[in-house]
Amino acid sequence: MSGSRPVDKLFNRRAVVAAGGGGVLFSGLIARLFQLQILDGERYQAIAKENSVRLDLAPPLRGNILDRFGRPLAAHRQAGRISIVREQAGDVAAVLKEVARHIDLSEARQQQIVAETRRQAAFQPVIVRGELSYEDFAKMSLRAPEMPGILVEMAATRSYPRGRDFAHVLGYVAKASQSDLERLSDGTTRDEAKAIRRLFHHPNMRTGRSGLERYAEEWLRGEAGFRKLEANAAGRIIREFDAPELAPKRGRDIHLTVDAELQRVAIDRFGEESGAAVVLDIETGDILAFVSTPAFDPNDFVNGISQADYDLLRFSDRFPLYHKAYDGTYPPGSTFKMVVATAALEAGVINPNERVFCNRRYRFGNNTWHCWKPGGHGSVNMHQAIKGSCDVYFYETARRVGIEKLAETARKFGFGQRWELGLTGGRSGVVPDDAWKRENRGEPWYEGETLNVGIGQGQVSASPLQLAIMSARIAAEGRIITPRIIGNGPRPDADIPLDEPLDGDIMRRMKAGMFGVTSEGGGTAYRSGDLGLGGPRLAGKTGTSQVRRISATERRSGILKGENIDRKLRDHALFVAYAPADDPKYAISVIVEHGEGGSRTAAPIARDIIAAAIRMDSARAPVYTATAAVSGNRPSTGGT
Amino acid sequence: MAGIRARGSNFSRTNIFAQFTGLPWGLILLLCAMAVIGVATLHSATFTNPEEAGLPLKHAERFGAAFAVLIIAALVPLKWWMTLAWPAYIATLTLLVGVEFFGVTGGGAQRWLQVGPVAVQPSEFMKVSLTLALAAYYHRIWNDNSGGLLVHIPALLLIMIPAALIFRQPDFGTTLALFASGGILIFLAGLWWRVISAVVIVAVASVPLVYLVVLEDYQRERVDTYVAQLTGAQVNVMDDGYQIEQAKIAIGSGGWTGKGYMEGTQAQLDYIPEQHTDFILTVLAEEFGFLTTTGVLIMWMVILGLGLVIALRASSLFGRFLAAGAVMTVAFYILFNVAMVLGLLPVVGVPLPFLSYGGTVMITTAASFGLICSVHLGKDELLSIG
Repeated sequence: MSGSRPVDKLFNRRAVVAAGGGGVLFSGLIARLFQLQILDGERYQAIAKENSVRLDLAPPLRGNILDRFGRPLAAHRQAGRISIVREQAGDVAAVLKEVARHIDLSEARQQQIVAETRRQAAFQPVIVRGELSYEDFAKMSLRAPEMPGILVEMAATRSYPRGRDFAHVLGYVAKASQSDLERLSDGTTRDEAKAIRRLFHHPNMRTGRSGLERYAEEWLRGEAGFRKLEANAAGRIIREFDAPELAPKRGRDIHLTVDAELQRVAIDRFGEESGAAVVLDIETGDILAFVSTPAFDPNDFVNGISQADYDLLRFSDRFPLYHKAYDGTYPPGSTFKMVVATAALEAGVINPNERVFCNRRYRFGNNTWHCWKPGGHGSVNMHQAIKGSCDVYFYETARRVGIEKLAETARKFGFGQRWELGLTGGRSGVVPDDAWKRENRGEPWYEGETLNVGIGQGQVSASPLQLAIMSARIAAEGRIITPRIIGNGPRPDADIPLDEPLDGDIMRRMKAGMFGVTSEGGGTAYRSGDLGLGGPRLAGKTGTSQVRRISATERRSGILKGENIDRKLRDHALFVAYAPADDPKYAISVIVEHGEGGSRTAAPIARDIIAAAIRMDSARAPVYTATAAVSGNRPSTGGT
Repeated sequence: MAGIRARGSNFSRTNIFAQFTGLPWGLILLLCAMAVIGVATLHSATFTNPEEAGLPLKHAERFGAAFAVLIIAALVPLKWWMTLAWPAYIATLTLLVGVEFFGVTGGGAQRWLQVGPVAVQPSEFMKVSLTLALAAYYHRIWNDNSGGLLVHIPALLLIMIPAALIFRQPDFGTTLALFASGGILIFLAGLWWRVISAVVIVAVASVPLVYLVVLEDYQRERVDTYVAQLTGAQVNVMDDGYQIEQAKIAIGSGGWTGKGYMEGTQAQLDYIPEQHTDFILTVLAEEFGFLTTTGVLIMWMVILGLGLVIALRASSLFGRFLAAGAVMTVAFYILFNVAMVLGLLPVVGVPLPFLSYGGTVMITTAASFGLICSVHLGKDELLSIG
């Protein structure tokens, strides 16, 4: 020790005293440690073995999805489940053998579980069987106390009370796969990604795989929390502490604009047919029914679907996995004729009173185009041409308009662009023009092809949603209509494609034509005009979407139809409509795949659905307050 | 030896190298070993919770930064430290006042000051600054007949001003630590025994007054549960007592050798709040048992003892007080924390240096040992005044 001054000596003395004091305190701590760990050790070891209080990750309950009147479309049900905790089970294989004496549990599955428990931390439960029957649940609840490490509990499982009805809109949830985890943790920090991984490994946790469930995953998910539990040596939870500050936060609900009952009626009306229907509220753009049938049952997917069942869906010739209303694009057939007529009037290439003579043949270049009507329509003006769906009139009109102008008008109606609804999927269809053809087919546009487009065949294609929007816009005399299916929920973040108001006078002419189709002599759907409601009538337009080319030989010998032709080759039947005709409220599009004639199969279905909508007043005020209108780059309609 | 570093201001390259090799490496290696134990224990405390999975690595990274702070502080000549003492004290005090007005509230107390991306806790810096200031003060003022009482009044004020500010945040633990380590320096400065006795008597007598008047409700509750568990009264599991009780079960069930690394049922079941920060010792005690835990405590005693030896060997009063003060700062962290975890003191929220997860305590401890090392390098300097 340095320093010989008195001050140094004093400091040294005091430092030794302080060090001594510190030594005493440290010794005291060690003595206390000795007391706790050695003297009282056995007692504490016993306590530690007996009961353990722990915090278990508690996954949040997913938000519900409801229809416009609050009917649940996606909710939860309770299902029984057995799981095993390695730490408490000791010999997992032996315990599983015991379990297998009471419930069905294959040897292979037992080994699988043993392997799984080894991969996880000793205290983490591994699911032995989910979806227990009531008898199994009761049996196991009774036996569990004798089986160490076995937990029998009820857990909330996603359920879709309306089964197939909203399969494509809602999509479904499933256990997160590796690729799901990667997608979910995309763009998060490392710590967040870890939290997501841990959460989604929880046996109760599901993630949206398709449809709204996938699109609105974050909105619906909620926040994880913890359960504070006390368990005894056998792993049985003997107490759950009330810990509201730790509770998981439930996901948010979503209200759709659809009317589940209308959807039901629509699907029933299709019967065995395969097809799609879209019903729009013209006033608000609310999608009231969004039908694609047949469909799969999303409930089958929640706990994993078997390969065999999945293959049945995958290889069915009615394509139940396919969202025909949103992802399906079809040549619009004659329903496209209003677009052609609008383009002609906009371009001023035809006077609505001008007459075109139809003798069933239209010659252009070295080819001949045909009208559908045997014998032709004779001399028709625009109104008569729409009413009778005269092909020759529209070959001539389309040729005069030209493909570029035709494409421009079609885009104004919303064709050729994807409408963002907040669901997965959605196709834009094709509005062909010269640039499109050069890019996609590597050759220039030929004028002859314009004639095909003139009757909605050839390269042009549209989804049932787009056709419903077209119908609604005609009914609304040109006003812009933005379709939406999320009434209250996450706002679709993509820009809604821009479209422009259409000329009111032209639209009134189209309405008159569509009224003629269903309500005047010579209309192609004259029988479907009466809604059977005593007053309101339906206005619409039929269409037939050609699936195959008709050869000249076949045309001469009689075009094959109905039972004489393979279903796959039959034409699709289309119908677009709105009602009531004098004060339009609902717009609809219907496609019946391989249904052959629009007037024969599609129109009656459309009529019955729209009549049901009027009868049930589907467009009445919903129970939610709508999410604020989507802002974006849309032009204002001028303060109406 | 003495010739090499006669003047700290001769700060040439060869000098730095000589100084570097002259560092008390035994002490430094023991500190590194302690940090390794900290990372290992943290790994066990956090591995079952993926949300905390990055913590052990972050702890190691922080130790890297702290180690740099230690070496830099050590290589700063002692004389510079004496010059820096007062500005540092004033600056930290300003920051404390700043917290009062612009502070960020965290965990119910206004302790942090947001500086860009980092949240700093000036109350922690004050532990180091106060030691510097007291050392500088006694170095200047002390003479042979310094037993006089009045000499210690300014020292007491130096402690009380920041202590009052920190108490208001409120941060009871740090307030106590300032009084404890500052008080020890006054004690080392030769405060008369009869005054010490009087202070102790008054302090003990005023305990009921402090309890009733000074403490906030939640602080009072902690003291209540503390007394309750000391006397063995039944405590409600949902109280604060729950934490202490669970900590005792974890520690007690460790026995002589523990349940094995990452095998502690209590630790792994995630039931002890703050088990990776203030209650990290529960993990160590449960999984490694009495022998290892005692070993770690003895290791800390050796480290602190080595620091005290450096204090005693220093020639200058500044060096002696500085090293002793730094030792006391760290010693109180450890004593408070361990006593708290073992249920001997109320839960006041003091971390265990190098073992608890937390950046501030790591830096404070490293800075303290940096100062001790600086004293070691400058042990032959007298630092005469004037």
